[in-house]
Amino acid sequence: MSMARRLLPALVAIVVVVLLGAACASDSSTSGGDVGERPVRVTTTANFITDLAEVIGGERVEVTGLLGPGVDPHLYKASAGDVAALRDADVVFYGGLDLEGRMADVLDELSDDKPTIAVSEGIPDDRKRQPTEFEGKFDPHIWFSVPLWREAVDVVEQAYVELDPDNADGYRERADAYRAELEALDAEVRETLASIPDDKRVLVTSHDAFGYFGEEYDFEVVGIQGTSTATEATTADIDRVAGVIADRGLEAVFIESTVSPQTIRAVLAAAERRGQTARIGGELFADAAGERGTPEGTYIGMVRHNVGLIAEGLAPSGSR
Amino acid sequence: MSDAMIIVLTAGLTATALALLGPFLVLRRVALMGDAVSHAVLPGIVAAFLVFQTRAPLVVILGAAAFALICVLAIEALRGTGLVASDAAIGLVFPALFALGVLGIHRYAANIHLDLDSTIYGEIAFAPFRTLDLGGVEVVRSVLIMGVVAAVNLGLITLLWKELKVTSFDPDFARSIRFSPTVVARLLLIAVAVTAVTAFESVGAILVVALLIVPAAAAYLMTDRLVAMVAIAVAIGWVSSVVGYAGAVEVDASIAGAMGLTAAVIFGIALLASPRHGLIARAVRRARTRRAVERALAEERGAQGAGA
Repeated sequence: MSMARRLLPALVAIVVVVLLGAACASDSSTSGGDVGERPVRVTTTANFITDLAEVIGGERVEVTGLLGPGVDPHLYKASAGDVAALRDADVVFYGGLDLEGRMADVLDELSDDKPTIAVSEGIPDDRKRQPTEFEGKFDPHIWFSVPLWREAVDVVEQAYVELDPDNADGYRERADAYRAELEALDAEVRETLASIPDDKRVLVTSHDAFGYFGEEYDFEVVGIQGTSTATEATTADIDRVAGVIADRGLEAVFIESTVSPQTIRAVLAAAERRGQTARIGGELFADAAGERGTPEGTYIGMVRHNVGLIAEGLAPSGSR
Repeated sequence: MSDAMIIVLTAGLTATALALLGPFLVLRRVALMGDAVSHAVLPGIVAAFLVFQTRAPLVVILGAAAFALICVLAIEALRGTGLVASDAAIGLVFPALFALGVLGIHRYAANIHLDLDSTIYGEIAFAPFRTLDLGGVEVVRSVLIMGVVAAVNLGLITLLWKELKVTSFDPDFARSIRFSPTVVARLLLIAVAVTAVTAFESVGAILVVALLIVPAAAAYLMTDRLVAMVAIAVAIGWVSSVVGYAGAVEVDASIAGAMGLTAAVIFGIALLASPRHGLIARAVRRARTRRAVERALAEERGAQGAGA
């Protein structure tokens, strides 16, 4: 029992520390004066959302993106600086639909303090893809359908106008201009893809990020692996996909910037045995755009890059 | 209170909860229990999702805790047969459970993001943003949860101190005086499983695995007394939390990573510089012995020379 008495002070110490920490939850809310006299501080997750926030915000905003190029948002690891980026932001934009995994809980709690806005929130349920098994769970990869991404522009515009009404005209102007750009992009995508005949409109990729792309631009999307990155492709998956490549006579399959290319090589080998030689048509941007400062670092550049590669890989040789 | 303070307190309390148990795992040669649990919880998460169709934290924690318990108790049972060594028992049980989880995802949940990172593994950087409303007072969840777990662990090892000590060092003797090593071991492992799962949810896997083993292993090198070993392990946990956080802010890096690395550096220092068991102390002792032997030999030779 003497041991119990000796450890009692330690128990008291723990209780004191807990009371100290628990009783005074952080009250360090946003500081630094009203929006209007200073730039709007914006924090975003994936880098194509950063791009969107910058384009619509123009000179009125300072955007901090948490996720760089090549980062799978589901596997994002926070750094010490991200705490301040979230705490000091006037508004946080994120993908939503579980794109950010567990971070969504944090963003949800943060919404008591400041607007945290899923850019996918304006999309009606009937335009969202729902994986068959589960009610109420939607595919988060909306950005490869340009018309759906256009909805995200409205969401961001609306948020800025509410936050900084004095400069509403500027936001509206930039949003209108960008919507026009996206419409032009959509037309360009359709024209580029028109060179691919109907029977070759099959996009084979390593992971399921292109569901909305497929629906919008009339492609059958064959993912080797499911949406979860925890499981690996089975031999049956590899066989199934190799079968599709052989049956449809596809000349190219694609890898993604955030997923390992190993599995897709196994698929190509299996297709080869079935007598169809296909090649890797290149690396598509999936869950992140490219390096900042390169053409692929913007949303528009990322879409152009992907569509260019797909057209080059799947269009019959004569039309290229 | 600042965000920095909350993060350090969360880490420190987590370190306390883990370092109270870690020394016993190190002494029993089952230090990898934390790693084992970090993987073995996957089928629990899948099962919880299939039954309740949600990734809500409470449901996930309960599912994970169930499989954490299965994991530690199965390892202990396998060890108890005497046919499989400790390390092999750990290596046999958790891959089987992890594999079960992977099969479960593949079979039932291939099209949703269901993995450890998006369900159970928390992120310590976000601790300040996750609060609870307790009767009008806003409390930081992770501080409250890890504080409660640390206090429970402290109570447990205080109550079971003698039993834990005897069964850790000499299970046969313990049996001879009618302490059941099995019951004590099970209680310890249940505490490890529950602590690990709650800590995963609060701070993420890497920090838990590191803080369960590294401070205890460093403390083991620094003292021969069990009480001191536990106290030193807790202290190292706190130092790692404070220094690791400062380092992470300095270079804008992962907080958990920096804390884990700090703990490893402290272990390295203990390994080199521990007064009695460190490498430096050992080298000095050996050099001294060698000199003493050489001197004795030289004297003997001198004596023989004088005799001849």
